[in-house]
Amino acid sequence: MKTELVERQRGGMWLWLLQRVSAVVLLVSLITHLVATHLFNLGKLSYDNIDQRLMSSFFITMDILLLAAAIFHALNGTRMVLLDYKFAALRGRRLLDGALLLIGAAAFAYGLWVLWPWIVK
Amino acid sequence: MPEAKLRINRYDPAIDGPLSGGRRTGRYDEFTIPYEKSLTVLEALFAVQEGFDETPSFRYCCRSSICGSCAMYINGHYRLACQTNARTIEGTITIEPLPHMPLVKDLVCDMDAFFAKYELIKPWLIRNSKAPEKEIHQSPAWRSKLDMPIDCILCGCCYSSCPSVWYDEDYLGPAALLKTYRFEVDSRDEARRERLPYFDNERGTYRCHTITNCVEACPKELNPTEGIQWLKRAAVRRRLLGRWK
Repeated sequence: MKTELVERQRGGMWLWLLQRVSAVVLLVSLITHLVATHLFNLGKLSYDNIDQRLMSSFFITMDILLLAAAIFHALNGTRMVLLDYKFAALRGRRLLDGALLLIGAAAFAYGLWVLWPWIVK
Repeated sequence: MPEAKLRINRYDPAIDGPLSGGRRTGRYDEFTIPYEKSLTVLEALFAVQEGFDETPSFRYCCRSSICGSCAMYINGHYRLACQTNARTIEGTITIEPLPHMPLVKDLVCDMDAFFAKYELIKPWLIRNSKAPEKEIHQSPAWRSKLDMPIDCILCGCCYSSCPSVWYDEDYLGPAALLKTYRFEVDSRDEARRERLPYFDNERGTYRCHTITNCVEACPKELNPTEGIQWLKRAAVRRRLLGRWK
């Protein structure tokens, strides 16, 4: 393994750290979501019910965090697996990173668009 | 008189042609070695060479589990041949080279990539300050942090067992990273900034997914996974918090 290869492969610390941060955020926001949606509101789910809940700034914040954490954690995890097998070379890695960034941005934008009416209320 | 039945992996590039990657021929030779009280697998291999067939090739040196030369895959386990007693193995003793390593001949693997990665991380004490008049002081507490990583004998078992190495030939591997940990955790070493880029990268610590095959494979019962996770946390401490100790 050459020194130049090591130099070109810098990076990875932030993604490793954020994978752990997003895991904690995911845990908290997912439990909140599951408890609020599937425990307290079992049998009562309807558009009005969800509308009421999303009017609360606490729940809308939790949902946005859940959206961001889930997208990041899933795509970063996919990236980690793919880097183990392919895309290890720098050029391939950059292409993969670009593609995942686009997918993540698109997914987040779509989720925000769905939540937008409650964000602006 | 007890007998040890050996089944030895065979490969000769002159006969079998080149083998790429970690491939094997599937060819084995069998020998039965009588012994009196005790017989290590390494002694059994000597007995094969001396009494039956002088051609099987294998590495050895110290015969006392400290050099790491005789690391092999014995009955599905990573072992040092000099440390493995035939009495403890029931049935036929199947002796194979370290899996997933390129083969030179029979039980001898190509260790070039392994040692190249080891050299890359600067595995020596680096001091930038002026040498003290007498010894470099190190407290017992700091010295105890070296107890585990200092025992590594560079046998290659952990490297051979690591799935991340199997799929990415440029991944540094658990042995090189354990040696990195050995020097990074040494209070006398002053190469923190110099060594950081060599392990804090996509081919370094972040390719470790704590599979812990290395922990299971190590004949010295060391824990490379623990060392690698320490290095990941050290990178965060240094780059985010500015704590370089």
